[in-house]
Amino acid sequence: MIEINKASRAMRLVLWRVLVVLCLAVVGGLLSATLVRFSPGYGVDESELDPRLSHSSVEAIRNENRKNASLIRYYATYFAAAAHGDLGTSRSLRRPVAELLKERFPVTARSVLVGISTAWTMAFLLAILGLLFSGWLFEVSSTLLSGLLLSLPSAVIALFFVYLRAPVFLAIALVIFPKLFRFIRNLISQAYEQPHVLAARARGVGRTGIFLWHVVPYATPALLALLGISLGMAFGAAIPIEALCDSAGIGQLAWYAAINRDLPLIMNLTLIVTLVTVVSNYIADYSSRLIVSEP
Amino acid sequence: MKPRALRNLAVVMLLAAAPLALGQSGGVLHFCLHGEPKTFNPILVDDEASENIRYLTGGVLIRLNRQTQALEPGLAESWHVSKDGRTITFRLRKGLHFSDGTAFTSEDVGYTMKTLMDPQVHSPTGDAFRSGEGAIDVQTPTPDVVTITFPASVAGLERLFDQVAILSVHSPQKEMAVLGPFYVSEYKAGLYVELKRNPNYWRRDAQGHPLPYLDGIRLDIQRNRDIELLRFRRGELQLINRLDAESYQHLQKDDPNVARNAGAGLDSDHIWFNEVPSAPLAEYKKAWFRTTEFRKAVSLAINRDDICRIVFAGYAKPAYGPVSPANRFWFNAALPAPKYDPQGALRLLIQAGFRFANDELRDKAGNRVEFTLVTNSGNTVREKMAAMIQQDLSQIGIKVSVVTLDFPSLIERMTRTFDYEACLLGLVNTDLDPSGVMTVWLSSGENHQWNPNQKNPATPWEAEMDKLMREQASAIADKDRKKKFDRVQQIIYEQQPFIYLVNRDVLTAVSPAVVGVAPTVLNPQAFWNADVLQLGPAPQLGAQK
Amino acid sequence: MSAKRGLRICATFMLCAVGLLALGANIVAPYSYAHQFRDLPSSAPTATHLLGTDTLGRDMFSRLLYGTRVSLLLAPAAALLATLIAGVLGAAAGLLGGWWERSILAITDLSMALPLLFLLIALRAMLPLNVESVVSVVATFLMLGLLGWPSALRVVWAATRNIRQSDFLLLARSSGSGPLRLIFRQVLPNLRPVLLAQFWISIPVFILTEATLSMLGLGVMEPLPSWGNLLRGLEDFPAVSANPWRIAPLVLLILVVICFQLILPSQEDSV
Repeated sequence: MIEINKASRAMRLVLWRVLVVLCLAVVGGLLSATLVRFSPGYGVDESELDPRLSHSSVEAIRNENRKNASLIRYYATYFAAAAHGDLGTSRSLRRPVAELLKERFPVTARSVLVGISTAWTMAFLLAILGLLFSGWLFEVSSTLLSGLLLSLPSAVIALFFVYLRAPVFLAIALVIFPKLFRFIRNLISQAYEQPHVLAARARGVGRTGIFLWHVVPYATPALLALLGISLGMAFGAAIPIEALCDSAGIGQLAWYAAINRDLPLIMNLTLIVTLVTVVSNYIADYSSRLIVSEP
Repeated sequence: MKPRALRNLAVVMLLAAAPLALGQSGGVLHFCLHGEPKTFNPILVDDEASENIRYLTGGVLIRLNRQTQALEPGLAESWHVSKDGRTITFRLRKGLHFSDGTAFTSEDVGYTMKTLMDPQVHSPTGDAFRSGEGAIDVQTPTPDVVTITFPASVAGLERLFDQVAILSVHSPQKEMAVLGPFYVSEYKAGLYVELKRNPNYWRRDAQGHPLPYLDGIRLDIQRNRDIELLRFRRGELQLINRLDAESYQHLQKDDPNVARNAGAGLDSDHIWFNEVPSAPLAEYKKAWFRTTEFRKAVSLAINRDDICRIVFAGYAKPAYGPVSPANRFWFNAALPAPKYDPQGALRLLIQAGFRFANDELRDKAGNRVEFTLVTNSGNTVREKMAAMIQQDLSQIGIKVSVVTLDFPSLIERMTRTFDYEACLLGLVNTDLDPSGVMTVWLSSGENHQWNPNQKNPATPWEAEMDKLMREQASAIADKDRKKKFDRVQQIIYEQQPFIYLVNRDVLTAVSPAVVGVAPTVLNPQAFWNADVLQLGPAPQLGAQK
Repeated sequence: MSAKRGLRICATFMLCAVGLLALGANIVAPYSYAHQFRDLPSSAPTATHLLGTDTLGRDMFSRLLYGTRVSLLLAPAAALLATLIAGVLGAAAGLLGGWWERSILAITDLSMALPLLFLLIALRAMLPLNVESVVSVVATFLMLGLLGWPSALRVVWAATRNIRQSDFLLLARSSGSGPLRLIFRQVLPNLRPVLLAQFWISIPVFILTEATLSMLGLGVMEPLPSWGNLLRGLEDFPAVSANPWRIAPLVLLILVVICFQLILPSQEDSV
């Protein structure tokens, strides 16, 4: 009886969470549509400047672009269509948004995921190496390295990678690596400073023991939270990098959509980005909570 | 990635092994489009990427030879324009087929023209034919004769057909069935467009071999020009169009045969002042901008030679009129060359009542003469030009602030709010004929940017320009039209509503592997003769590094 | 740890030198940052032009000095603002829990996902075209500070949650401290390493974001230099590899960021 109660409560909690996530994504989409609609240059088309076009054709282009001018009507039609799986049509690319997303999403997802794993592996390895060889030479060289990477504009990193013909995920990894590294290193050293760690040390617990039994549990919740954030960060980094490297993913699409004030495209992209951010953060929160409540 | 690299290697090795003197048939030419093609429907084309695809795939009745700038028969063996300039009769080649095998007849021409001129379609190509109210009339007495009658005479009528790719009325593939040298076989949005050789293409070379020689063309969609250059240097691409001066220099250092300069192009960069009466600007500023002496002084004080030398590394020519010398027929050679004369500029300004003291220019009322120059962001060349203009004008006491805006914001200011003072922008000229730029010079035009959509011409010289432009459009003989348009060019030179700065050189890069390339100033520059291009066994550029 | 101290003194000295040079740009710089030596475009370093000239012939050394002044003053200020906002909000979320936590986190998630670019474009349209460069520069960095907090917030929040049940907080709570007092007196001082890390991370980010903003007509406009627009020159790869001295602004930026990291007490020192 108690078990069933527990399960149904968990079920309700999950449903509630899903609802919240969906609401947030929708709010994000609506807000971004509002932002685009009221930003200068909305409904303006470069082709208006084509000198061949007659007055009536220019007017027709303008009317076509004014179609989404009433936001409330746009929202309503959008949701009505979205219920049938139609996400609207990109104004600038003249293609269904759903089709564009289906083509582009896997490309970005792959480079973001591989990029994150690479960055985490690098950051962890370096932080642990720092623990093992805590000499000042290591300290200085790792500070220099992360300082160097932090200061490099992501555009420069991206172009450098294009130059080397390296894949996009490496550029993403390099952009988020220094942030991860600094945080992880600070966290681990903070852990070593905790009173119970100091006490354990005084009791003569070995290096590995301290690391496994005291440092890791202390750092895990924050690290899991960081995992969520790094997903958001990687996604954010992917936009300029993909645009610069001309990698045909979501990032390149978003940049193109922004330049062209492509309302349907931007709204859907924001929805996706919000979903990714919120879900990854939720997963991070949830797992960190699980671990906290365990001991 | 790997299989492709291997395949490329295999192609290179095969080519190297084959004993050939010059080029030979086959092979896939590889280069980039600089944007996403927005449409494959030739009627709706209005961006450069789509236009390039239309050029490579579309069959046209009359082709403008990009090198000689003369008209040549295409799908039409011959044609005849009536004396009143309203009717054109084509005699079509017999026995031609679309890429999917559908037969080509006069019916297809009629269908294309009717679709093109449908007012609901708003085709930029169709709008160019629109000279008067009313519908067109198309007669197809036999399968190889078609007569098209327009409601009013159309200036430069034949030349407009260079842009009209003929659609098939019966083909199930609709607009994807083409009559040009290639057809679109695959399109991956954001990545590439693949063209394959059209086996039914009508043209043959002098020996009677069918054209095109190439098996296909792969067009990668690549906005980033640095990446394009890099890939070219690695030998992955064989052509680059619209190369910027800096990249041209880098390439020339690698190999002088690769970088090609076709001379000053048709495109121009210019600045203009906002003369719109309703613009939200201070009245005294509007008064300066409307003063001819002020505009002329600004023009005199800009050192165009320096701009050409520094911003374009010498690969541009100072411009002073709306028509580039590259447009051989329409250019008015009688216009005097521009000078750089800051002292003369100051004299003009003082004549017009301005005062110059302590390195500052003030108007009669004592207002400091300063303005903001807007241009589109992300265009380093224009940003550099703006910075140079800033320094040049500071010598005659004018303070210029430069603001870069993203394109949609800029267009909104130019066409809707008119909230700007001066603008630096360029005009891409794809058309040689002045009728193609009517909306720029008519005071009622949308693109009459310094003061668009006027009900009545604001100045006597704009009224005269209106009259001349209308007259040239209804005149039949090109000689008469030229006389009128020469006068228009002179008015623009005298009044400087647009202050022309430079005509950029048309720079392209061509791999030694491509045989038969002859880049021209007209679009599509390096591959206008794609049907006769061949791929030879030349070494990869990157190989020697 | 004397080597470390030596390094720290070195870094302090270097930062002071850079700061002084930047502040005294009017006196130190040999030329105006805007003057174009048109006979010497893209020249290599010489005795008269220590770092050579840019493509328009402007003295790179003078531009670097003036650019340092703009960026070095304002980017840390913006970073401070962003970190403070993130600190206060993050600490509040972590400490108060419940609806507070949920709504603050939701807002953060949203602002990370929204295309704020359009907000900036709209802002540009609201400002008059011709703004004084000082106003535009200050406004830009202020905006960066006001918009740049979300990425730091989650980190602060997670760290706060970690110490929510610590003895000192329970003690302070039981002695009747209100939430504001708890945040400012207890939580934030305890989160110093986390906040400092966020602060360092955001400085270069803001310096570089400023360069992107100038593309929207915001930020530091020509001909006034900033590290951001000097660094944009690095995007032209072939030119940089042909003229290696053009990376001088990047070297200086990295140097300054590293110096900052070395000087301020961070967690490692106390291990």
